[in-house]
Amino acid sequence: MNPLSRTAFWSIFSIAAGGAALLLAASLVAQPSPSGETQKLTASAIQIERIDPPEDLLVPEAFRVSTYENVIREVTKTNKFQHVYRNGDRTAADVPDLVILHMVPHAFKEGSQKKREVTTVAGSTSIKMKVQFTSRDGKVLLEKDLEGKVRFFGENLRATYDIAKKVAAVVNDTF
Amino acid sequence: MKTTSAQIGAVVSNQREIAWRSPRLAGLLVAAIAVVLVSRASPVFSQQPATAQAPQSTSIPDVECVIGLETFKPNTKGTLSLLPSGLEFATGKNKADITTASIQDIFTGEESRQDVSGTAGTVAKLAIPYGGGRIVSLFSHGVELLTVDYVDSNGGFHGTIFVLPPGKATELRNQLIAQGANVTTHVEPPEPKEQKP
Repeated sequence: MNPLSRTAFWSIFSIAAGGAALLLAASLVAQPSPSGETQKLTASAIQIERIDPPEDLLVPEAFRVSTYENVIREVTKTNKFQHVYRNGDRTAADVPDLVILHMVPHAFKEGSQKKREVTTVAGSTSIKMKVQFTSRDGKVLLEKDLEGKVRFFGENLRATYDIAKKVAAVVNDTF
Repeated sequence: MKTTSAQIGAVVSNQREIAWRSPRLAGLLVAAIAVVLVSRASPVFSQQPATAQAPQSTSIPDVECVIGLETFKPNTKGTLSLLPSGLEFATGKNKADITTASIQDIFTGEESRQDVSGTAGTVAKLAIPYGGGRIVSLFSHGVELLTVDYVDSNGGFHGTIFVLPPGKATELRNQLIAQGANVTTHVEPPEPKEQKP
């Protein structure tokens, strides 16, 4: 290797190494520090409202009920609240720091289990919902769009279990 | 023997009279038969309301409770019975009741279920070589879903979904309505059409 090419090599190497170091530093700076996490919400109880689809979206009652019941089960399992109240429960009226969970579906597609299992590409069932946590006075504390789906194995109603798990994950992250 | 014109005229008038009377006779005959049939059928009609008012107890075995009964895990199989007080779902060890008075609404819907399903069935389908599991997936049967909305003593809303043999959910719904369960008019989405792949 002649001296010129050796110099060129070291120049290129130093530029590349410097760039890599800069990228590493930038990625470290961009990572949120543990102290920078959003502050978690606190509440002793949650009330879960019934699924309330808009008038132009027809969701079968079985899907609405299954979503509601699955969400109650999964939120209860998180153990984040002393009480999980159902829609209309009068005893929730006395709870001072009650959080209310609203679920509004905005898209629904009912597929077919047979089609899913035979074709593996068609027949998926999905339900998309806006999930909103509010205080008793209606102040929105958190809002997320979630999707529950069943793509291959399982009955159509399994999409409601999928979305309930995602709601529970949001509860775990938020409270 | 000579036949006079007067005799011929009498015979013709007799035939006309018979021809004129025969529809009336036939009508009378039909009316008489109808009266006899109605008189025999009337006890049957009068018995029907009596049987409808009698307390019915219908039991349907092998009903799957998909979700909604707190004392049961999801997808528990048991016997669903219609009692004079409402619905009862029971397994060997456990039972849960939904009183007719607490029912807010009842929905029915049709679905299809795979003949081979569940975790074991799915594993078996996957284990069949050359995609044979997909052929097994073609075999399915129709079921009917019964969704019952009800409230507890605190006013908390509950919903329960049962999977029944075809026709049974509608039958139970009608019987619950006859018992006085609340039902509203529903706008149900069209059933998804099962297309052959």
